[in-house]
Amino acid sequence: MKLVKIGLRVWITIASVFSFVGGWIMLVHAPKPYQSFQQDANTALPTLEPLPPLSQFVFGDDNNFQNQPMFNTQPRQRFGSNSFFRTGGS
Amino acid sequence: MIQSIEFRSMNTTIMLAAEGPRAIDGMQATKMFIEECEQRFSRFLPASELSALNRSAGEWVTVSSDLMDMLQLSMNYYFETKGIFDPSILTELKWIGYDRSMDDIRINNGRAPLPRASKRASRPAFHEINLDLTNCRVRLPYSMEIDLGGIAKGWIVDKAAHMLHLYAPACGVSAGGDILFIGHPEDGFDWDVFLEDPRDSMQMLCQLHLSSGAVATSSVMKRTWSQGEKVRHHLIDPRTGESARTDWLSVTVVTPDAITAEVYAKVILIGGEGELSNLLRNRQDITFIAVDPNGNLLGSPNHKDFIYESTDTNLSIGVPH
Repeated sequence: MKLVKIGLRVWITIASVFSFVGGWIMLVHAPKPYQSFQQDANTALPTLEPLPPLSQFVFGDDNNFQNQPMFNTQPRQRFGSNSFFRTGGS
Repeated sequence: MIQSIEFRSMNTTIMLAAEGPRAIDGMQATKMFIEECEQRFSRFLPASELSALNRSAGEWVTVSSDLMDMLQLSMNYYFETKGIFDPSILTELKWIGYDRSMDDIRINNGRAPLPRASKRASRPAFHEINLDLTNCRVRLPYSMEIDLGGIAKGWIVDKAAHMLHLYAPACGVSAGGDILFIGHPEDGFDWDVFLEDPRDSMQMLCQLHLSSGAVATSSVMKRTWSQGEKVRHHLIDPRTGESARTDWLSVTVVTPDAITAEVYAKVILIGGEGELSNLLRNRQDITFIAVDPNGNLLGSPNHKDFIYESTDTNLSIGVPH
């Protein structure tokens, strides 16, 4: 009985050590997250047009979206909690 | 958050909306006030103060300060609109079949009986009423009866909204589309109002926005019925004594108060293009939007200030009235 207990402890110890080492080896050989990012970074990024000056936004007066005032005075429209009023005579 | 309640009173749909912790209390108090007003100022209720006044033509009658206020305002609008606004057309209304509430006419499949007499009785002019402001007394001339219908509705909306405002920083009161908003919703949005298409009340023509103030609409398409072979509506042209023949199907007015909005929506619709310049000459505070028989919108130069540009036309609202 004593021999069985000793054998069991040895077996658990050996299995734990081998599992730990096996896991370590797998992680070492697995692809790293930063490696895949670096590969994507090699693709060319789109180039953006420089933003027009702020004055161009404020004083625009035609229908071109880029020339509309940045802080539009048109009230915000919603179909929310107070949108139930209606008028049409009674 | 804006909360609301809806109920039926004054033969129309009443809607109250308010925000704040005391909104519900305020709406309950306002509902009671409106229901009490209906009992006092309806011409269809025999026990109302107005019915009692109509029964006592020829005699001096003591009236409440509220009824005196309405009569005085009516007189002012009568002169201001050169008689196009005239609450003494009740004789004509009864003649064309509007002698019972619209709900009762609808129950009868929208048919009204033919008049008993072959000729409509003549009546005195509205300005012949005697108002004793000091003692709060009124004397209607013999054979005069008055209908405060529209102006009473506007008056009640104004009073009710100010009452609700005692409980809520931002609120709105609507009585059949006569609406007054007080205060701006705290979320920063304007109050939204759908403008019905008079040809089909389930469709909207556009969406209006108001930061505060009133809006009201008169339409020749809403309260209609048949009398014999004739189709009638409730907007009497005092100049002819008949249902008005109008250029437009409906007129919506935006003003600071509901009573002015209600009166001017009616008189602009009755007066039409011919009377427009006379009616609006001294009323810079009025913006109107008219809908022609094809559903086109036209109105004051600034009427588009109140319309969302992105409104889709003919969008179904889906809210029964």
